[in-house]
Amino acid sequence: MAAPRDTPNRAQRLVGGWWGPAVGMSALGFYATATAPRDEAGREIFFNVPAGPWAVYVFFAALVGLLVWGFVRHASLWGIGRPTPGLFRDIPQRLRNTARLGLAQDKVRRDRYAGIMHWCIMSSIVVLTLVTAQVAIEADTPLNFLHGDYYLFFSFYGDLFGVIGLVGVGMALYRRYFADFHRIRWDERLEDHIIIVGLGLVLLTGFVVEGARILVTELDAHPDWAVWSFGGFAFAKGLEIFNFAEDQVLFLHEATWWVHVSIAFLWLGMIVFTRLDHLFFAPINAFFLRTDSQGRLAKIENIEEQEVFGVGYVQDFTWKQLFELDACVRCGRCTDVCPANIAGQPLSPMHLIQDLKAHLADVGPAIQQHRHEHGDAGREVSPVALVGEVILDETLWACRTCGACVQECPVMIEHVPTIVDMRRFLVMNEARIPATAQGALENLEMRGHPWRGTSLERTTWMEGLGDVPLFDGSQEYLYWVGCSGSLVERNLPVTTAVFRLLRESGASFGVLGQEETCNGDPARRLGNEYLYQILAQQLVETFKAKNVQKVITNCPHCFNTFKNEYPQFDGYFEVLHHTEFLSKAMQDGSLKATHPIAADVTYHDSCYLGRMNGIYDAPRQIIEMVPGATLTEMQRTLSKGLCCGAGGGNMWQEEVGERRVNHVRSEEAINTGASQLISNCPFCIQMFEDGVPAVQPEEEGRMRPFDIAELLEDAVFGPKAKEETPAAAGDSSD
Amino acid sequence: MHIVVCAKQIPDPETPPSAFKIDAATNKVVPAQGIAPVLSQFDAIAAEAALRIKEAGGEGKVTVISMGAESAQAAIKQVLAMGADEGVLLNDPAFEDGDSHTTAKVLASAIQKLGDVDAVFCGRQAADWDMGQVGLLIAEILDWPVATIAKGASLEGETLSVERVLADGFETVQVPFPAVVTVSNEFGEPRYPKLPQIMAAAKKTVTQMKAGDLGLDPSEVGKAGSRLQLQKLFIPEKGAQVEFIAGDTPQEQAAALVSKLRADKLI
Repeated sequence: MAAPRDTPNRAQRLVGGWWGPAVGMSALGFYATATAPRDEAGREIFFNVPAGPWAVYVFFAALVGLLVWGFVRHASLWGIGRPTPGLFRDIPQRLRNTARLGLAQDKVRRDRYAGIMHWCIMSSIVVLTLVTAQVAIEADTPLNFLHGDYYLFFSFYGDLFGVIGLVGVGMALYRRYFADFHRIRWDERLEDHIIIVGLGLVLLTGFVVEGARILVTELDAHPDWAVWSFGGFAFAKGLEIFNFAEDQVLFLHEATWWVHVSIAFLWLGMIVFTRLDHLFFAPINAFFLRTDSQGRLAKIENIEEQEVFGVGYVQDFTWKQLFELDACVRCGRCTDVCPANIAGQPLSPMHLIQDLKAHLADVGPAIQQHRHEHGDAGREVSPVALVGEVILDETLWACRTCGACVQECPVMIEHVPTIVDMRRFLVMNEARIPATAQGALENLEMRGHPWRGTSLERTTWMEGLGDVPLFDGSQEYLYWVGCSGSLVERNLPVTTAVFRLLRESGASFGVLGQEETCNGDPARRLGNEYLYQILAQQLVETFKAKNVQKVITNCPHCFNTFKNEYPQFDGYFEVLHHTEFLSKAMQDGSLKATHPIAADVTYHDSCYLGRMNGIYDAPRQIIEMVPGATLTEMQRTLSKGLCCGAGGGNMWQEEVGERRVNHVRSEEAINTGASQLISNCPFCIQMFEDGVPAVQPEEEGRMRPFDIAELLEDAVFGPKAKEETPAAAGDSSD
Repeated sequence: MHIVVCAKQIPDPETPPSAFKIDAATNKVVPAQGIAPVLSQFDAIAAEAALRIKEAGGEGKVTVISMGAESAQAAIKQVLAMGADEGVLLNDPAFEDGDSHTTAKVLASAIQKLGDVDAVFCGRQAADWDMGQVGLLIAEILDWPVATIAKGASLEGETLSVERVLADGFETVQVPFPAVVTVSNEFGEPRYPKLPQIMAAAKKTVTQMKAGDLGLDPSEVGKAGSRLQLQKLFIPEKGAQVEFIAGDTPQEQAAALVSKLRADKLI
């Protein structure tokens, strides 16, 4: 089975994918100019525009002034944020991010059409700026290089990128005005029209100016030079048809030159006032992008000494969080992939970022002034509450922390930590929290697990399995069962499946049994960082006391917490998700899938195994090695996979909105025509046990959700084996 | 306005059935291993009711009192974190193994000792024994009026307006101060404590009182003063027997079933 891959291959990385053709074309032009003998080609700079030089420098000075002023204005607003720790650590990684995500635009290309369009426009602007800069150097420095073969090459690629730019503008215009592309309309503003039409005019007038000059100076005298400026040459040929007098052409040339230069500078000036500022902020934000795991949330250090818990006021964000608000270009990719938004629930990451940005612009200057005068945080300055009024409670609760928005954002905004920071304020500072989520948190406090009302014990699953070894420090692995794996009836068969497979593989492992307590992940995602820290510290101590080195979990959330978050509490363990361990065991032959399982399956990437930790291959390799099983991928898969709806503590919340996310995702799985929906996460399975029957009310032929370990258990021990540990299907947990 | 909330720490009602054990020799519940006792949910709701009255009035004090072992500090801290001002733990071996009456006596003595109390809020019953007596008996001992099973309570001038749950609806009664109110789950969910209050509660010291501090003789409290004798504590054995009714036709089976049910005096 060839699993689809969505990470760029090596060659793409080398040239940033879309840079390839440009490099090739330029090389071709260079080769052509270098091999063709001809006279000293060249042109007069500021031909026919006597006032040109001073105008350009006045415009340029104004532009630089404007950019500096704009930057200072922005920067002073970011400055009201808290310090951002660790922003200048891992410099090499940050430079790589800037190159790959900022300049090569890996993320922009995740939408193919937009990727081509954006590359055309961007490369055109970059190259034409370089072209213009060379003209300036030629005009104002003793350097004299714009003649001969290089001049022809220069003319060639200048025109080439002018045409490429026009192609990009055309694609943008098509999407905006003819294709009625949905995300463009979500927050469309006047500037969006001005930017794209303005750029088109700059490029077009550029060709007109060039064409008029060529008509006068080159078309008759040096047609062999003129063809290298193929765009201008075509315009010149077009003008020639009208048989204008030379002074008429010169007038056209001069007038268009002024229009061209004015629009170009105005357009560049818009960088300060419009979303064009992403020209600078996007690559800078790529530099600021976190270099640790996306699955890790920031730890509140010295939590007991905080004045305010989480972010309840705009100045409580870090300045990086405020900075990235300015990078947003309103493209809507985040909202397009947001599970809450897809299900019609009250969250749109794009609008959230834009609302924060507008709020910062509204109250930022007053806060700044207050600070200047009083020296305190100025939390009472804002007349509106950030959490509750600017951003509604229900918006914050709708987030699954699935990271799809972060994954798609072409300017590297990290929405999830920002949302969780505001949740922290809601829960810890204000104690405003949905009743069911509150129940889960109270249960965590009182009973060390989130499953209110369970009648199971942490050892119930062991019944009938013979000797279950307790971890005592002598074994290699700790098999971490987790709260769902032991206290939710539907998940017990998964726990026993993993256990039997581990035992079969000959691994040396033990379990903690009654000594397991929640590792705190639900508390952290729901915003109760205080409770999380207590639970995490306790468990890190338990692990250390028991001499735990390696952990196998059957839950991606536990996996992510141990792997990415426990190092914040000095807990460094080697952590494996069961799919990783089992895939390895099958490859080295310690597990053998000998019983054919004739099943069409589809595979659901859980967010915390897939997007957050990049484990896409191991589970697919297992399915591949199960004889008889065939995998059909869903439309949204791998890093574009859709959350099951349970993430971010939504396992314990009532959903608000048109549909439920698990119904949407179940429907997508059912549409593949597969008979089994294979996942790797106890929450996903519970969501699908609930979601599939809602979409397929008929029991006959209904798709069945299973964990990948359950599938493998059948393949290793034979399908009959399942009867020993009857799987409680679906209706048991209610 | 000074309101006292009586809070009891009980074995976790969510203890899995398999972990719930009884020691037949001592007639006592064996504390389940690894499962911490919790604040009785009805008492948390009573605390919520008291705090809302205090907040509506703008001023006042809420004191939480618990009779129990040292571990009951946790229950007191929980109510303090919700927003109560002071906590009192009545911890004396002499108080152990009493009945509703001795418990009410100890609590009433503590309330009298506090002196300036305007109202006492209790849960409608403790969620472990479900007796529902202590609130009423406190009122009896103090000779105060009592409004039971409240689903709402608010201050109205010099009186307390209490909505009481009835079998077929509810009624509103006016109660003069000082008064006792027992609060039912219909009142609503208790609040989730805010972190600043949790941390403030952690720093508060809980006043400890013993029988001597309350002017009580050990012989009138706890097991010694108990009027109720526990005969036997046991977990009812649940069983199901299945009998297939014989018969060749559905009619015969039905007839056999009816005579069987008659014989067992079920119909």
